[in-house]
Amino acid sequence: MATRSLPILLLALLGLLVANLMFGAVSIPFKSILEGFQVGNANYFTVHEYRFPRTILAMLVGAMMALAGALVQGVIRNPLASPDVLGVSHGAGLAAVFYMTFFPDADIRWLPAVALIGSLIAALMLWWLCGQHSSTIKLAITGVALAALYASCIDFLMLVKPLEINNALLWLTGSLWGRGWNQLSMLLPWLLLIPFALWLAKPLNLIHLGDDSAISLGIKANKLRLASLAIAVGLTASCVAICGPIGFLGLVAPHLTRKLVGGRHQILLPSTMLVGAILLLLADLVARTIDPPIELPAGIMTAIIGAPYFLWLLLRTK
Amino acid sequence: MISIRLPFIGQCLALLLLLLICSWISLFSWSVITITPMDALHALYQMNAESIAQHIVHDLRLPRVLIGIMVGANLAAAGVIMQGLTQNPLASPSVLGINAGAALGMATVSSIAPWFGLLGTSVAAIIGGGIAWAFVMLLGSAWRGGNEHGRLVLAGVAISALCAALTKAVIIIAEDQAAGVLTWLAGSLTDARWQTFDSFWPVCVIGLLGAMLIAPTLNLLQLGDDNARNLGVSLMWVKLGGSFLVLLLVGSAISSVGAIGFVGLLVPHMARMLAGQDHRKFLPIAMMLGACLVVLSDTISRAIIYPAETPAGAILALIGAPFFIYLVRKRTL
Amino acid sequence: MKRLLSIALSTLLLSFSLSVQAVSSAQDSIKNSVEDSKGTFSINYVPKRIVVLELSFVDALAAVGVSPVGIADDKDPERILKEIRKEISDWTSVGTRSQPSLETIAALKPDLIIADISRHEGVYADLQKIAPTLILPSRRATYEENLHATAIIGKAIGKDKEMQARLKKHAQIMAEFAKQLPEGKEVQFGVARDDALFLHTADSYAGGVIRALGLKNANTGRSDDAYRQTSLEQFLAVNPDYFIVGNYVTPSIVDKWKNEPLWSVLKAAKNHHIYSVNPNTWSRCRGIISAETMGQDLIKVFNTNK
Repeated sequence: MATRSLPILLLALLGLLVANLMFGAVSIPFKSILEGFQVGNANYFTVHEYRFPRTILAMLVGAMMALAGALVQGVIRNPLASPDVLGVSHGAGLAAVFYMTFFPDADIRWLPAVALIGSLIAALMLWWLCGQHSSTIKLAITGVALAALYASCIDFLMLVKPLEINNALLWLTGSLWGRGWNQLSMLLPWLLLIPFALWLAKPLNLIHLGDDSAISLGIKANKLRLASLAIAVGLTASCVAICGPIGFLGLVAPHLTRKLVGGRHQILLPSTMLVGAILLLLADLVARTIDPPIELPAGIMTAIIGAPYFLWLLLRTK
Repeated sequence: MISIRLPFIGQCLALLLLLLICSWISLFSWSVITITPMDALHALYQMNAESIAQHIVHDLRLPRVLIGIMVGANLAAAGVIMQGLTQNPLASPSVLGINAGAALGMATVSSIAPWFGLLGTSVAAIIGGGIAWAFVMLLGSAWRGGNEHGRLVLAGVAISALCAALTKAVIIIAEDQAAGVLTWLAGSLTDARWQTFDSFWPVCVIGLLGAMLIAPTLNLLQLGDDNARNLGVSLMWVKLGGSFLVLLLVGSAISSVGAIGFVGLLVPHMARMLAGQDHRKFLPIAMMLGACLVVLSDTISRAIIYPAETPAGAILALIGAPFFIYLVRKRTL
Repeated sequence: MKRLLSIALSTLLLSFSLSVQAVSSAQDSIKNSVEDSKGTFSINYVPKRIVVLELSFVDALAAVGVSPVGIADDKDPERILKEIRKEISDWTSVGTRSQPSLETIAALKPDLIIADISRHEGVYADLQKIAPTLILPSRRATYEENLHATAIIGKAIGKDKEMQARLKKHAQIMAEFAKQLPEGKEVQFGVARDDALFLHTADSYAGGVIRALGLKNANTGRSDDAYRQTSLEQFLAVNPDYFIVGNYVTPSIVDKWKNEPLWSVLKAAKNHHIYSVNPNTWSRCRGIISAETMGQDLIKVFNTNK
């Protein structure tokens, strides 16, 4: 099954990459795209400065968020879990909204850094509250409770300073608008986490057999969990810092992939990255082309596409 | 029906007194137009038609306090019933997605289809909340009993996230409504008037009486589903009836003041600390505590960025969320 | 066919821009240098294709008879005042003000972009890659800041003289209006939605215009915000002599409040001094033309009163 799905996924990804370069508020024929990479071409800005980095960014962010989702679901062993239950994206959101409401005149370029710090603090909070030895489900629920706390602080800030609501909401929905080479270069160092995550695939399979058998097979279950969650936090934090919390990717992509290629993590993890990239590319493409020149945030599209699918999936596989 | 013992009566009286004091303070405090504590009393039974202060107390503050009391009682009762039905200490309207569903219903009607006046925001909110809860119960397999507390909460979170994402989408698409919708989402007593009161109190009384009636059965459910069945409880009817009550209580509260969160989570636990595990006792205590809490946070909500107001729900969320964390930490799941 | 067209179009554009360059090199002396929110902005030609990303900038351009080729109008032409729409020729929408479509802007081949520091700072670098970008305050700007920004725009587009003249005329018009209006009356403007009333305080654009017309802002208490959501109780405390309301929807919350007994306690309600105006003019557009329209609105209000 996996061997059949992978080429199709790759093809779909390639197709979407090209489509993302071609379509938008203005359509550019395929031939002109290649010319658009040359400095001085009429399409140079649209292709090279705007669509290309944005497309690559969508691909990477989609892949990383999906990978984080697969790791979290693998560790918590609950299909409803997602990086959101770690409270990381809400922590980033709180930091970002705080920054936007209290320093409206400050330089917006610092926003990713602020969001990153917020999400890392949120991860530390979770770690501090749960410690090393609590059960994963308890970890998840603590994360949820923390997320609720951050969410209520976000609401409070937005209500006290209503002028910033729209800006804050836009950020909180997750969008690729206006993201370019700069943001791409900020994301690059975090790509280093991906090989580590893939390296965890084999032990993650064993942990699915149950803690006892995993331990007897020589795997320290707790350390593995910790490592997986830490990587998931890193992946999510970096993505959220740059694009805002794009909802449902981390939840839906691993599900979809599991249906396509099965649950073995060696195949699941790489394929889920493909699926995540495809989903976000699709969402951004639709968000840009549905009613040009209006640009909807990609996060809205992932929610609209992802949410019903997720419900349907859950009701069927219950 | 309620077995009467002195400490319980004492607790009830103390809480009643507390509630009266909170309400009285709420009637005159933090007003931009000076209202004296005496004005607040006069407006109740010896209205001076000339005084603006007394008009404010009578026309704005009094319905606000009364509705706050009812909303608090409703949400607390709903929380108690939900926790009793699911045997899950974290069950409450906000955690299990009812609030988020109601918010989605309301936002959809008021932003995307404002001409959809037929339905009205309140009905939309109740429908949204009901659907969301049904989904959560289905996904969390709450009907089957058992002790999978985590699963139910995760289902609630997933559905809440889903509704919240769609709500955000709706708000962004209809940019101009954002501030208003957000205030409503947080739950605010600012626009609570006698009109709201008139349509709210019958439902509230029915719901609360229903809650008192179902309390003995909830006690039996504590023994576990099997034991309860052996004691002659029809589980399906109890669960259906309980769900209906919850929807009635939460729905009427949401449609009058918006999606106030965390009362349903917080109060039942506080009440249990005071009155023990017997539902017949801690249910009334929970109602009074809930009422106090909402009235108090409404007062705080006027003080915090005086002279402007924040929604009371935002204050409650700030109090409630840390308590949620505390609960999770304390309980073994 | 399409390709042919695009080639033809791009040659046309190229020759056009070449000719513009030729003109500018011929008059190398036109070097306009202004201070915008990011430092010194200089331009050495007269921009012909201008894209604006906030509504107040449209107002500024229209005031000296320049038509922008692209406007971030939220894809709703009605957002731009009738009075301004009359002055300018057709434009292309470039999307929402909060997230304008950079592709559409680039496709318009602008030679000047005017952006808002509060909304578009994040894409300032990208905008500059498309065309020289003048970034100025618009959202959250007061009346005085707005006049200042308007003057800067005039200078940047090489119409300094016209703009100064227009601003002088604007000052005269406003002074003229002020003479016709009773001095020192307390006027409060608010925007009403379905479930909320937002007062525009003394710090807001509307508040500034009201002061410029020789009227007085009502005391709204704490004044750290340009807009304040207000409950009926707080509104009773503000209690302005004249209340101007812009209804985004009907019936708005003010219509609901009108039925309450407490409403009649208000000074404005007692003396029937509540007037509704176009919220677009009063709240969204923020420019000299809309300020003049606001002045006319107020004169109408005070005349019907006599």
